[in-house]
This record gives sequence, structure tokens and C-alpha cells, in this order.
Amino acid sequence: MKLRSYLKDRLWFYIIAALFAGMILLFLTAYRVSGQLTAFIVSLFLLFIVSVEIIGYMRKHCFYDDLCSKLDGLDKKYLIHEMISRPAFLEGGITYDTLYEANKAMCEYVAEYKRSSADFREFIEMWVHEVKLPVASLQLMAHNHSGEFGEKSLEQLRRIDAYTDQVLYYARSENAEKDYIIKETLLKRTVANVALKNRESVQLAGASIETGGLDIKVMTDGKWLEFILGQFMANSLKYTVKDRVPVINISAEELQDRVLLHFRDNGAGIPESDLPRIFDKSFTGENGHTYAKSTGMGLFIVKNLCDRLGHSISVTSERGSFTEFTIAFAKNEHYLINSR
Amino acid sequence: MSKIYVVEDDRSIREELAELLRNSGYDAEYLTDFSNSKAEILSARADLILMDINIPNLNGEELLKEIRRECDTPVIMVTSRTSETDEVLSMSYGADDYITKPYNPTILLLRISAVLKRAAGTAAVQTYNGLQVNDAKGSLTDGSKDMILTKNEMIIFRFMLDRQGSIVTRDDLMTALWDNEEFVNDNALTVNISRLRSKLAELGCEDAIETRKKQGYILK
Repeated sequence: MKLRSYLKDRLWFYIIAALFAGMILLFLTAYRVSGQLTAFIVSLFLLFIVSVEIIGYMRKHCFYDDLCSKLDGLDKKYLIHEMISRPAFLEGGITYDTLYEANKAMCEYVAEYKRSSADFREFIEMWVHEVKLPVASLQLMAHNHSGEFGEKSLEQLRRIDAYTDQVLYYARSENAEKDYIIKETLLKRTVANVALKNRESVQLAGASIETGGLDIKVMTDGKWLEFILGQFMANSLKYTVKDRVPVINISAEELQDRVLLHFRDNGAGIPESDLPRIFDKSFTGENGHTYAKSTGMGLFIVKNLCDRLGHSISVTSERGSFTEFTIAFAKNEHYLINSR
Repeated sequence: MSKIYVVEDDRSIREELAELLRNSGYDAEYLTDFSNSKAEILSARADLILMDINIPNLNGEELLKEIRRECDTPVIMVTSRTSETDEVLSMSYGADDYITKPYNPTILLLRISAVLKRAAGTAAVQTYNGLQVNDAKGSLTDGSKDMILTKNEMIIFRFMLDRQGSIVTRDDLMTALWDNEEFVNDNALTVNISRLRSKLAELGCEDAIETRKKQGYILK
């Protein structure tokens, strides 16, 4: 609280005070009070005004300056109430009490939403586990009674499984709770699991997979990484170029402070104008319209999961020739200590 | 014949699973009454247990822990829970492998045979028609001559050797190769098999691998 703005705020009071000082002066002159006494009375009046103002300013100044500086320094501004103590003067007290009540109401409101979102997530998670049972059952049936129909059913079941996984990981990526484990994961094994899971689709597309330098361990959650690579692979198989054999190249390189995992295909690529937005929610872009309809959720979830795990992700692409995603895993000693 | 015990509360899944296992040459039994799971499982004296985590009365992970106290029968956890946490927990309680539902049945069978093989120990040297499999060198030997196999050929040969006399589909072979991080395509598989054939012929095993049209191959 600046002195000047305080004075400006109190202008009405000074005007009234000046008015009354004038009136007193008028009276004293009218009753022919001596000049000395007049001067004494007027200066007493002025002294009274000034001292009231100084004390008033000091009380408010302390409280409001404290409030403002703490508010500036706070990351979560709604916690301001917790940071200040109740002031002694009336207005400050009212302000403080108001903050307290508002904060309390807000907390209750947010808690309600948190609860309902946690409940919803829990239900989604449970539902996904439940729906996987009939899928597993159908998959076994299709395998046991194979034939052309069995093969076709298996393909559709894999699609159902992929979609349910997307829901599951969306729910997980949006949640504040920590439900992943960062531990040493061999990239080779993770890639093999992803490839194995998508083998039929890869073969159906006539694609080939090349790998290089995957004998590296990184700190990540293996299951989450499998989902991320699965999304890349699904995209690579979807956005292919006609009359070109799709090639997916997965390689890793170890730098001093991090490990880079490259996932490159020779597919349709992404138009440069779409590139900055491909990780946005529900963004489908040009490829999403010209090829099979896309939901625009896959890469959004991927980005979210990477953020949660603390991996950075980047993409480079040239239209009609390639797309390359790169995930950077930190080689942080801090992780190692935590996992021990 | 290895006996596999299925602990799974979904009726449809356990019946289909048992059928799959029987079709693949295993003896399969399953638990139907979960009131006394532990005693039932132990009294079945199976060679391998396939266990779900979400089972009535007792959590699968707890059950696994209790079983581990009594015996060291190999256990593969088969579950629809896909989090790394569950996997780490199960493995720390002594599971031999962890597979998430829904699974590719071929992969499940592959894992089962791998776990059974590991449990049986690796003491026995595998032989085929007087040929010894030398894993360290990656070769086949008839005592006088050594024939080096490529990694892919070795994977194919071992896979067929484990299932000698029964049909192995191209799909099975593909799965086995991809599981070993060899992402070959259809053509490469054909090439690998014909090379393996000629190598076996050189060692005196003519026509060891027979082609069954539209079904697969048999190692005689």
C-alpha cells in the first residue's frame, strides 16, 4: 500500500477536516479570540488529524503490504488465507474472515469434484478390467475354433482391446495420483512386447520392423511405454504411402545425460502446419481427415503420459517421406536412488 | 504330459483355456470352488499353475504368497490388471511370469512351455536323430561335423524340436521369432525354413521337416 494512494483514498476526510478547520477559524474570529489562542487551537486540530491518519495508515499498511507481498510470492494463490494472520483492525478482520469463508467453501467444492472424478476414474478402471474378460474369452474361443471366421474375429478383438486400453490410459494420464512405477526397463523387451502385440497388423500391412541399439536400460514404467509405442505403431500402420513398403525403424542412442529412443516410419508424414498441434486434445489434422477417421486422442494421451513420467517427446516429419518421434529418458541418479 | 492347473473365476475363460491347453497336449484342470482355494490347488499336484489376480475370497497375490510357502510349483499370473505395480508385486511374491488379459493364445502357450522348461532344468542336452543341440555355439553336431545355425534357424529348430511329431503353424513360428526380438516377415520365414532344411539334409536328416499344406510344418 503506497502512501500516495492511501492519501488519495482519504481525500474526502481531508476535505471535511479542512471544512471544519475553516468553520472553527470562522467562529474563533467571530468571537474575537486572540490570534495566539486561535493558532494554538487550529494546530491542535491539525495535530489530531495527522496523528489519527498516521496510526490508521500504519495499521493498514502493515497488514495489506504483508498480504500483497505474500500473494505475489505464492504459486497457488488460493492458499493466501493460510499465509496471513488475523489483523487487529476491523476492516482487516472482515477481509480475513471473508477469505476464510470463501476458501473453505472453495475447498469443499473442489473436494466434491475431486471425489467424483476419482470415483469416475475408479469405475472406468474397473470397467476396463471387466470388459477385458469377455474379450479374453472370445479370443480363446476364436483361437480354439479357428478358421477364417476365427481369424477375422481375432482381428476385431484386437481392435476392441486397443480402444479399451486407450480409455484406460486416458483415465490414468488425467489423474493426479501416482499409479506408475519408474524402474529399470530394457528397451529391447518393451519393443518386442509391442511388436508381438501388433504382429498381425504389421504383417497385414506388409510392414517390416527394423531395430538398432535397443540393448539399453532406461528408467520408465514399462507398461506405459508399451502403450506409447503401441500408439506410434498404430499411427505408422495407418498413415502409409500407397505402393511403398512400410518400414518402421526403432532405435536408441545413449548420450551423456539421457537416452534417446527414436521411432521412425517412412509413411505419409505430417504437414508442417499441423506439426505443432499434433499433441493437442482432439486434434485430427489433415491426415485425420484424408485417411481413416481419427479421434485425435492417441498422441494427446501419449504426451500426457510422457509428461507424467518426466520424459520429453518431440517429433520431426516431412510430408510424404517420414515421421519420427523421439522420446528422451533422463539418466538421473535421483531415479536410481528412489528405486532402491 | 504336464499337468496345468487353472485358477480363474470366469467360467467361460477357464473352460476355453482348458480346451486350449488340452488341444496343445497338456493335461488341464481347473478350480471351481473357491472356498478353499489353497488346499485344492496344492492337492492337485500340478506342474504349473495359471492364476488370476481377481479371484473370490482371496486376492491372487496373497494366494500366490501362501502357495510359495508350501511348494515351488511354477506359477504364471494371468490377469486383466495391466499396471506395472501389479506385475512387480506378483514377481516379488514369486510368480514365474506375468501375462495380461486379453492375451494372444500362442504367446500364452509359448510362455507356458518356456516356464515348464526352466522348471525342468537345463541339464538334459537336446538331441534329434543323433544330432546334439549345442546352445553355447549355436550349432548342431553329429559328433564329427558341426553345423552352425543362424539365430533364427536355431529358434525355429528348437521350437519344432519341443513339439516334435505335431504340427507347428507358421503363426506359431512367427510368434516364437518375434518373441525373441527377431521381427522377420513372411518371406524371411520361408527362406529360414528352407535353409534349415538343407542344413539338416547335409547332416544326413533328409526330409526332416515336412510341409502340411495350409496347416504348417512337422518335425518328424
